[in-house]
Amino acid sequence: MSILELLGSRIVFFDGGTGTLLQQKGLQAGELPEIWNIEKKQALIEIHQNYFESGSDIVLTNTFGANRIKLHDIDYSIEQIITAAVENAKIAAKNACINRKGYVALDIGPSGKLLQPLGDLSFENAYAAFQEMAIAGEKAGADLIVIETMSDIYETKAAVLAAKENTNLPVFVTVVFDEKGKLLTGSDVNTVVAVLEGLGVDALGINCGLGPHQMLSLAEQILENCSIPVIIKPNAGLPRNENGKTVFDVSPEEFAQAMEKIVDKGICIVGGCCGTTPAHIKALYEHCKNKTLLPIIPKNKTIVSSYTHTVEIGNSPIIIGERINPTGKSRFKQALREKDFDYILREGFSQQQKGAHILDVNVGLPDIDETQMLISVMKELQSVIDLPLQIDTSNVLAMEQALRYYNGKAMINSVNGKKESMDAIFPIVKKYGGVVVGLTLDENGIPETAEKRFDIAQKIINTAQSYGISKKDIIIDVLAMTISSDQFSALETLKALHMVKQQLGVKTILGVSNISFGLPQREIITSHFYTMAMQYGLDAGIINTNSDAMMHSYYAYRALTGLDNNCMNYIEQYGGQSSITLTTHLHTDISLSDAIIKGLKERAKQAAEEQLQQIEPLTLINTELIPALDHVGKGFEKGSIFLPQLLMSAEAAKAAFEAVKIKMGKSGEIQTKKDKIILATVKGDIHDIGKNIVKVLLENYSYDVVDLGKDVPPETIVETAISQNIKLIGLSALMTTTVTNMEETIKQLHDKKPDCKIVVGGAVLTQEYADMIGADYYAKDAMATVYYAQKILG
Amino acid sequence: MNVKDIPQKEVFRYLGYHNTIPSETIQSVVIDCISELLNHCSIHHTYKIFDCTIQHTKIIIDNHVIIESKNLSKNLNECNQVILFAATLGVQADILLKKYSHIDMSKAVIMQAAAAAVIEEYCDQCQMEIEKTLAKQKLFLRPRFSPGYGDFDLIHQKDFITLLDCPRKIGLTLTNSFLLAPSKSVTAVMGISKTNKHCHIKGCEACTKTNCIFRRGDDAI
Repeated sequence: MSILELLGSRIVFFDGGTGTLLQQKGLQAGELPEIWNIEKKQALIEIHQNYFESGSDIVLTNTFGANRIKLHDIDYSIEQIITAAVENAKIAAKNACINRKGYVALDIGPSGKLLQPLGDLSFENAYAAFQEMAIAGEKAGADLIVIETMSDIYETKAAVLAAKENTNLPVFVTVVFDEKGKLLTGSDVNTVVAVLEGLGVDALGINCGLGPHQMLSLAEQILENCSIPVIIKPNAGLPRNENGKTVFDVSPEEFAQAMEKIVDKGICIVGGCCGTTPAHIKALYEHCKNKTLLPIIPKNKTIVSSYTHTVEIGNSPIIIGERINPTGKSRFKQALREKDFDYILREGFSQQQKGAHILDVNVGLPDIDETQMLISVMKELQSVIDLPLQIDTSNVLAMEQALRYYNGKAMINSVNGKKESMDAIFPIVKKYGGVVVGLTLDENGIPETAEKRFDIAQKIINTAQSYGISKKDIIIDVLAMTISSDQFSALETLKALHMVKQQLGVKTILGVSNISFGLPQREIITSHFYTMAMQYGLDAGIINTNSDAMMHSYYAYRALTGLDNNCMNYIEQYGGQSSITLTTHLHTDISLSDAIIKGLKERAKQAAEEQLQQIEPLTLINTELIPALDHVGKGFEKGSIFLPQLLMSAEAAKAAFEAVKIKMGKSGEIQTKKDKIILATVKGDIHDIGKNIVKVLLENYSYDVVDLGKDVPPETIVETAISQNIKLIGLSALMTTTVTNMEETIKQLHDKKPDCKIVVGGAVLTQEYADMIGADYYAKDAMATVYYAQKILG
Repeated sequence: MNVKDIPQKEVFRYLGYHNTIPSETIQSVVIDCISELLNHCSIHHTYKIFDCTIQHTKIIIDNHVIIESKNLSKNLNECNQVILFAATLGVQADILLKKYSHIDMSKAVIMQAAAAAVIEEYCDQCQMEIEKTLAKQKLFLRPRFSPGYGDFDLIHQKDFITLLDCPRKIGLTLTNSFLLAPSKSVTAVMGISKTNKHCHIKGCEACTKTNCIFRRGDDAI
């Protein structure tokens, strides 16, 4: 009987902790337990056997940390360790299990590293480490893979993909929540459930961190959302510090009693973690072996997630921000071509502030590599914005790659009724999980009638089901077409929306703005159509959150339909305002240069816009912007102005430059940028705040900064300097341990690009240190690089 | 911890204000940053007591970890037990820093300084708790001493990470270049001694970079 068959037939028992047992058998401090698989085989066989004899159906191999990231410089290969570990557990199963099967699970623990961008481990390297383990485990004869004690959902995703793509074994996953129900990296319970179910694991749950009493409410929360078997493996209580040593207090009997309550809630796989022993498992087995298995009820919730939280579609209308999209926006196109991620991120932040629940991300331009751009933009967005994303592309490869690297359960925009589209998109939806937008068009185009659009929706849902994608993960877009070309098109769309929602029982989405294309004052039509669509059952609208009219519709609709408790959201938005039009007090009497000196961002932008109506952009830069910046720079040098003020002025100047850019873009004028400068935080270093400060200041002085980011290998810097013929390179490093990489970078640059100058800075550097590693200039503070750039490049 | 627990003057010192008081605007941003950090971060710490022996400049912890450091051996003089301690503001602090680096660099810089003050204050509070427990056994705690102070090599970060099981316990990891990730984190050794010997050498004062503008001293506000 396979483990999955056993799972449907009765409560399944895992083993308990091994750490303490190994110590009792003589494992010394600092000794690697994984080595014992080979050198002290008997000890492991005894421990495993003990658990099987206590009632465990599954034991975990002693391979928690047997990955190449944790284990190196040892005498054995990963494969040797894993092979021995599986063998030990199999011997134990053979010895202990008569008339029943003892299952051996390859145990995969976390890498012990933090993934990029917060740490230095790449998703690919994490994947490769888990892949090596999974392959070795299957080859050695493991019955299943258990990925456990995970505290980062992104690392967990890498491990699940590695297990599923490289083996045919069932995959179980357990993570560590704190008492508030959060992973250390911030994901909540619902997010973990959504992501893991989406990835198609066979069972999921929690282990470690908490005791059985604390896990009860978390177990309930998981069960509310989960449609697959749930695993609970607590510690023997909360760890307590006794003379600096960790101890656990919950006895086997107390453990078993607490677990009984958990099993009664509907948990079907149980075991123990730290501090639990064969005695705990024996008691657990005795208490729960005869429990009836509760049926697992599928939860029909349509859920997407970021890495922190989920958004459920179907209760209150959901807003999907449409602004991250180059269509018809020349400034956005420019930002994409220049890889100006700051600009794109600001579009994201502003939509989040305005109330978007999900952000649509479309970066398709004919002359850029869409796959690369989509992944870069998505990673940048996810590193600072915690909203779920809707990946919007018609490029299947770009979609597949984006879903692979997405941290969470994404929205997928889109599939349509064409066979070609469904053949391409459904397999990747099935593989990575996600909620897919189904457009009601097919080989014959967009049908005019609601009935025909309904038919296509039905075809999409049926085909998805044949791929194993449930209806809850489909959201239908019946397509809004402009009323300027067909005056009945809005009514047809609303009719289709209603039919799809009522008769197919599926969630709905619309790109609302299309409705008014070609008409004057589009907001009037769009916002009223938006209200009508919500009334007809629209679950998610893709809208412009910057439009007050649209947001008015949204808040008013919720208030009018009883979705807004005591109208609190409405009051929060509009209470205290004398009228709908907001007048912001912007110190209208302050000049542009004063606004920059005082660091008033909003006013600087407004003053620049005002002045640009009368004077040329370049004149404004030379007569107002630069002199103001110089004034602040000199104050900083003298010590009368401090870093925060210097940067506030820089930000104000940046806002003014943004106004200049827009003006120049409109007049078709091309902004003349000064020379290019590379900025990079050297390999091994992930502290880039100093580099970012310098970047803001250099950009103020119109230098074209090529920001290579942090943890940048010397080769990348050299290649960029050569390929773009860049004469000035700024390098930053924070710690003594990374200055060696700075030295290496300088050496390679001097060898391969002798005509470039290198300026260095960072907490640990001094003039002497900079001289020693061969830098051309040591920048003691943020402004020093600007002055050096002016000296070298003009 | 509350906003008022965090010494603002430490934030000003990290920002390089030395003996100047920042403008009211900056002061209010400092308060915003501190409260944003306290709201968003899940701050964790862990520690364990280990036996230690000191042979001249060599410190041996838990019978197998060897540290060569003149400064640390002086700090641990006459101790035969040490606490290894680690604390972190978690990934949320880094996310906030990154976010403001994109939208408001001046706030990012203030956030950075505020985060440093928050983690230091948190460590101080943890240390006081530990001191209370030890006092019951008539034992005393020496000041925190971290890798990177004086000649205590950063490479020893790895010993903290391993001995304290930091990735699993508090989500604190080490990069290949021995940098702590999340970045707003502290590891430290604290000696346990039977005598209440006052120890002047703290981190900042132990540093040889005496002309540093951030140095703690009498002239700072």
